[in-house]
Amino acid sequence: MRDLAERALDAASAAGADFADCRVVARTVENIVVKNGAVSTVATSDDEGIGVRVLAAGCWGYAATDELDAQHIEEAARRAVHIARASARVNNKPVRLAPHPARTGEYRTPVQRDPFTVSLGDKLQLLMSTDEAMGRVGGVTVRECSLEFVREERFFASTEGSRLAQTIIESGGGMDVTATAENEFQMRSFPNSFGRHQLCAGWEAIEGFDLPGNAERIAEEAAALLTADLCPEGVMTVILDGTQAALQVHESCGHPTELDRVLGHEAAYAGTSFLVPELLGSFRYGSDSVTMTADATRPTGLGTFGWDDEGTPAQRTLLVDRGLFTGYLTSRETAAVIGQESNGTMRGDGWSRLPIIRMTNINLEPGESSLEEMIAGTEHGVYLETNRSWSIDDVRLNFQFGTQNGWEIVDGKRTRLVRNAVYSGRTPEFWGSCDAVAGPDEWRMYGVVNCGKGQPSQLMHVGHGAAPCRFRNVRVEPAR
Amino acid sequence: MSVLADGGVAAAAAASLLEVITAPEGEAIAYATRLELTRFAGNVIHQSVAETSLRLRARVLGDNRVGVAEGGGRGDDAVRRVAHAAEQARHWSAPADVTPLPEPDGGSDSPVAYSAATDAASPEVRAELVARLTRHAAAHGLLAYGAMSTQTSTTAVHNTKGVRREATSTQASMVTVVRGDKGSGYAARHSPDVDAVDIDALAHEAVDTCMRNQDAQPIDPGTYEVVASPYAVSDLLGHLSWVGFSALAVQEHRSFMRLGEKLMSDSVTIVDDCKDAALFPHPFDAEGVSSAVVPLIERGVCAGVVYDTPTARRDGVRSTGHSLPQPNTWGPLALHMRMDAGDRTVEDLIGSVKRGLYVTRFWYVRDVHPLHTIITGMTRDGAFLIENGKLGRPVRDLRFTQSIVDALSDVRGISRDRILELEEGESGVLCPWVHLGHFSFTS
Repeated sequence: MRDLAERALDAASAAGADFADCRVVARTVENIVVKNGAVSTVATSDDEGIGVRVLAAGCWGYAATDELDAQHIEEAARRAVHIARASARVNNKPVRLAPHPARTGEYRTPVQRDPFTVSLGDKLQLLMSTDEAMGRVGGVTVRECSLEFVREERFFASTEGSRLAQTIIESGGGMDVTATAENEFQMRSFPNSFGRHQLCAGWEAIEGFDLPGNAERIAEEAAALLTADLCPEGVMTVILDGTQAALQVHESCGHPTELDRVLGHEAAYAGTSFLVPELLGSFRYGSDSVTMTADATRPTGLGTFGWDDEGTPAQRTLLVDRGLFTGYLTSRETAAVIGQESNGTMRGDGWSRLPIIRMTNINLEPGESSLEEMIAGTEHGVYLETNRSWSIDDVRLNFQFGTQNGWEIVDGKRTRLVRNAVYSGRTPEFWGSCDAVAGPDEWRMYGVVNCGKGQPSQLMHVGHGAAPCRFRNVRVEPAR
Repeated sequence: MSVLADGGVAAAAAASLLEVITAPEGEAIAYATRLELTRFAGNVIHQSVAETSLRLRARVLGDNRVGVAEGGGRGDDAVRRVAHAAEQARHWSAPADVTPLPEPDGGSDSPVAYSAATDAASPEVRAELVARLTRHAAAHGLLAYGAMSTQTSTTAVHNTKGVRREATSTQASMVTVVRGDKGSGYAARHSPDVDAVDIDALAHEAVDTCMRNQDAQPIDPGTYEVVASPYAVSDLLGHLSWVGFSALAVQEHRSFMRLGEKLMSDSVTIVDDCKDAALFPHPFDAEGVSSAVVPLIERGVCAGVVYDTPTARRDGVRSTGHSLPQPNTWGPLALHMRMDAGDRTVEDLIGSVKRGLYVTRFWYVRDVHPLHTIITGMTRDGAFLIENGKLGRPVRDLRFTQSIVDALSDVRGISRDRILELEEGESGVLCPWVHLGHFSFTS
């Protein structure tokens, strides 16, 4: 990898680049799916290529290829310079980068057991026993469970002298159970919505999920939802489980603190942000109970690494400090605009896509409460589990989320199961109404594996540490 | 610098891969892609990228087991690695009811959407097209944001039953949001041919919408009549396809489709037509099966769903050629939809609304209840009040929560003009303007 990178940088410099960096990325993905008692998919995917980013004539150019011979790598480097110069025809604002020392080093995701050393037979056995447990429950139409493992080798090099090698290992898995009736459709997922929970970790993470041990319960909940009462309607107290809190953080804090969105780089696609620079340091984003961080150093998160894709070290940044909006996710280019240094959130999807600002691990820091205590302190409300639908406007203010499961709370007690729950609100008012977050014992790291952004489209794996949390005076209703 | 269209790269790679597959049945797919995209923000180009790739996919079947592997790269080593990985996967897979590979069906490898001009488009060509838009925006004191892309893709599907398919297609797209101090406007154009992308029309449309959409004022949520532009209609059709137009969704009892039943207005006809020249035509699916024209909704009646080989076998019918790479758990997909045009002008549609809303586009649309086709999302980049048949002041963006089938059961008019838009999954949908009798806005 190092030789390929050096050749790319030399070619870019020779072609006239003022600055260049490149990433050689080799990714292997193993995916296994069991559906309705049969092995549906056993697949592996390998992918390797190089992406070269240059600054020439004040503009960015990026070219990527999977042809890893000298001729094609040099062509890609020259192509990147050509693209940058063409872009300069429609750019009178030369790019400035925040200062950045050269760095060298290696990083590897710490794992207890490399998932690629576990036999396919053992993986299939785990899924088949999960499926068998789901199948014991009547009324279930479709049952599906899966495992996914990722190994990504990355080598980063820049004309400033950085040389960084990283190996990232991810392990994920989960199940979806669907139950249908004449005029109803219900789904339950575990450990997270849409079939998969994923961590930067080894096989030990999969064992920790205990898929077989939870399968029958999840299937029973799916079947029970078919005949459950509709969610009550009104303004009431809402308690979110950790997985739904994680997605709420993702959509209403992670995205709006991306500084490229704030500066308009995503205005035509992902949108912009209500968190404009004038609000930094003074805007009341949430209540005193709400502290959020971007932390690429937290173990097991999907946004945990050694350095980002500009060579900036992994770090922890306060985004919201006891309710006050205090920070952005930045890159070298965007940080320079607000007079800061990058806090290391540039990430590219594989070798082929240009690094852009992405979430690392955006965490709701633990509080001092507990789920039990929050329920006990609720006169009337709902406890909502596991996302079913999510939508938020292009400045990240107006949101509506639905969950798979709901439990009505009456006089401090969890009572009946309810279905089709939807809650909605506006970001600052919602987080401003947060009066309790569970403590470290209930705080978990969750993974989102389908975060879309950028053109061409990039899917990123990001992490969210979260715990159950409570909100007062939230609009709740059944979907209809 | 055409590296794909004339090189036979994908077909050669698929043939090489099939040659080294040793299982009783095998399928080799190769995808060769060159994608170039220029992004702009605030009237300047801020990102511009190019990528080339060759992806291989092997599916091997035997002893009631299936294995799949994918890989990038070129040359004999890459081919052997993918074939070996697929065979390993098959070895470890458990026996199951495996659908055999399809036989050749004698279908033609045309029509296909291809343009030599798109294949040859340079960064300078894209920069000049962007400049035409940004100059127009700047002349009105506005800022343009968006992306101009050109793409050439070749897909080759070979299998041991004798299937040999190959098609090279191109796509050129310009999408923009033009912004002023207090509002924005959207426009998009897509075509196989970069020379047919009407940048001037797009620029005028986006600037016009932006200028009318300044200083929007709030309006009470509630149920309104709506004239939905083709951009908004494409989201409705895209979600219908995702949740209901698949045979697997019907087989798993999660589709709204009840074949033969009338669920929508008489004027609603939706067809999946992979041969339509306006819809990025492509002649075959990921199994190499020729794609058929499938009426989905005919005059409001549920007429059909799309099939792949496994779902067709289950129902005892022929595949319609709408497979994604097999095996998969999502089922077949309708990827070339069009909604039939009506006989009205857009002005006619607006003129028939006493009090309602004109919606330029929807945003972040998600399924709330798939079986009931309930979706939620926001309006974006231009929602306007219609009063007494006149298009009036802009209104602040609203959230809607609405059943699509319910909305399409109350269609009061359809335009004769249509625009090709990409739905969220990026497949082309040819849509008219549609006057909906009711649509529920919730906040």
